[in-house]
Amino acid sequence: MTVELDTDIAVVGAGPAGLAAALAAAGAGARVTVLDEYPEPGGQFYKQLSSEFSVPERARLDDDYTKGDELLAAVRDAGVTLSPETLVWGSFEPGTLSVMQGHAAGTVRARSIIVASGAYERVVAFPGWDLPGVMTPGGVQTLVKNQQVAPRGRIVLGGSGPFLLAVAKSLIAAGAKPAVIYEATRPLEWLRHAPRLWGHWDRISEALHYRRLIAAAGVPVRFGRIVVRAEGDARLERVVLMECDGEGRPIPGTEQIERVDTLCIGYGFVPSVQLARLLGCTHRYELRRGGWVPEHNEEMESSVPSVFVTGEVAGIGGAHVALAEGRLAGLGAARRLGLQVADAAMADARQERLTRRRFGDLVNDVFALKPGVYDQIGDDTLVCRCEEVTARQIREAATEWGADVNFVKGVTRCGMGYCQGRVCGGMVEELTARTVGCSREAVGAFRVRPPLKPVQVGSLADLARE
Amino acid sequence: MNSNKPVVPGAVITVFVDGQPVQARRGQTLAAALLALGHSVLRRTRHSGKPRGLFCAMGICYDCVVTVNGETGVRACMKRVEDGMQVISPAQFKRYEPRK
Repeated sequence: MTVELDTDIAVVGAGPAGLAAALAAAGAGARVTVLDEYPEPGGQFYKQLSSEFSVPERARLDDDYTKGDELLAAVRDAGVTLSPETLVWGSFEPGTLSVMQGHAAGTVRARSIIVASGAYERVVAFPGWDLPGVMTPGGVQTLVKNQQVAPRGRIVLGGSGPFLLAVAKSLIAAGAKPAVIYEATRPLEWLRHAPRLWGHWDRISEALHYRRLIAAAGVPVRFGRIVVRAEGDARLERVVLMECDGEGRPIPGTEQIERVDTLCIGYGFVPSVQLARLLGCTHRYELRRGGWVPEHNEEMESSVPSVFVTGEVAGIGGAHVALAEGRLAGLGAARRLGLQVADAAMADARQERLTRRRFGDLVNDVFALKPGVYDQIGDDTLVCRCEEVTARQIREAATEWGADVNFVKGVTRCGMGYCQGRVCGGMVEELTARTVGCSREAVGAFRVRPPLKPVQVGSLADLARE
Repeated sequence: MNSNKPVVPGAVITVFVDGQPVQARRGQTLAAALLALGHSVLRRTRHSGKPRGLFCAMGICYDCVVTVNGETGVRACMKRVEDGMQVISPAQFKRYEPRK
């Protein structure tokens, strides 16, 4: 069985950015199809509950469910086609996307493509991070919020960034209160950014709301501490934490052992750029916005004509950025097709995006990744989880083969497993750059190739047969 | 599930994990169902035989791959449970021993 589809605009990703883009483009008269790998639209932020679940009192759900409902209803009313459980795994000609729906392969043809593929969590390795019980904060939030299953035992949050507070809020609401939150930065370090808060009142009140809720639940937040080790036999039993200096380097003599059953650890997010890179978009390294990000003009069109990038994939900034930037990309893509878009609407969308990006960048700066966090990666620490490659192998390969992560990949097999380097890529780049003593730009990034995620050969064979 | 929670998972169904019948709720992902049952170890790695469990739970890391109805490499976090589903966790696989 194969899939064939023609549309004006194909949006990849049904999160806030993709839905906002679809809504804006459809409003301007374009035929829009949104492709998304998950069973329900909404992305990670507006993740919907399974239709098999019942919700006796919708009003008792979080705000993001209501807002997600409203956005989805508007998208459906605008005549947008939502195509869930559709993995985009390749692109072999301009204006085409190779997709997989279950075991059915196919091709989507579009005059414009909007890449709204979002982001995933950045985890920086430490000894024992592969033990069952160590999870990403977003993973745990999905379980408690959308699956109604809480991890057992004593839960501890670690890493850095405001998302830890959002996850703590979800855990509290689910009756699985975390024992403590360890945040790598310190409030004193935030002060120099304070003047930039002016004007962003809605976001400030949101942050205060989270802070109050967590304080009211009696969950302590401890600053300036990082997880340096996780230990346990068949699963996580305890973690070792240390105080760190302003650069994230652990301060000797500050070890502290914490009994933990579930550790949720993340240092912000990484843009999910695999598709944008496969489509040939030029990328640049911008640590502040999460790493490699596609370049774009002021209407969100990438270096490849008719390919737009928007939301987290264009640089980490949060859901408000994604909504604003999605609208801009949708209007931009519609205009690119020759549809009428009022200059005032375009200008308004550009302005809204800039305002939201300013706040997003402020948050990124406050919780900037401290370079010393990478110091926990000892030679015996596992870096590539799929192929079980240690930091020593990566450092030796970098020493021998020089400043190119693709040589390091070829020699060690790091990044060649199931996840295709999504989890270890940034770490391999950083370790290689440090070993050789050069910039992240100089070592580059893992090459991306189709299929972007594993697909079955039999399904591809059907494409050739039909 | 507690009745005063705002969300009630779907009907109770039976899933077979390594041949054992266990209960799951319709609409759940296999990962959530396994976690609710207390399965923290989902597989052992092929080189060092170390235990692995659910890590990203959003389809990125592939640490939760299991075999479902004979299909290998299925992410438990992306797969919805179905009545009568046969799940084999690679934790049950024998460790690969190279021939001498």
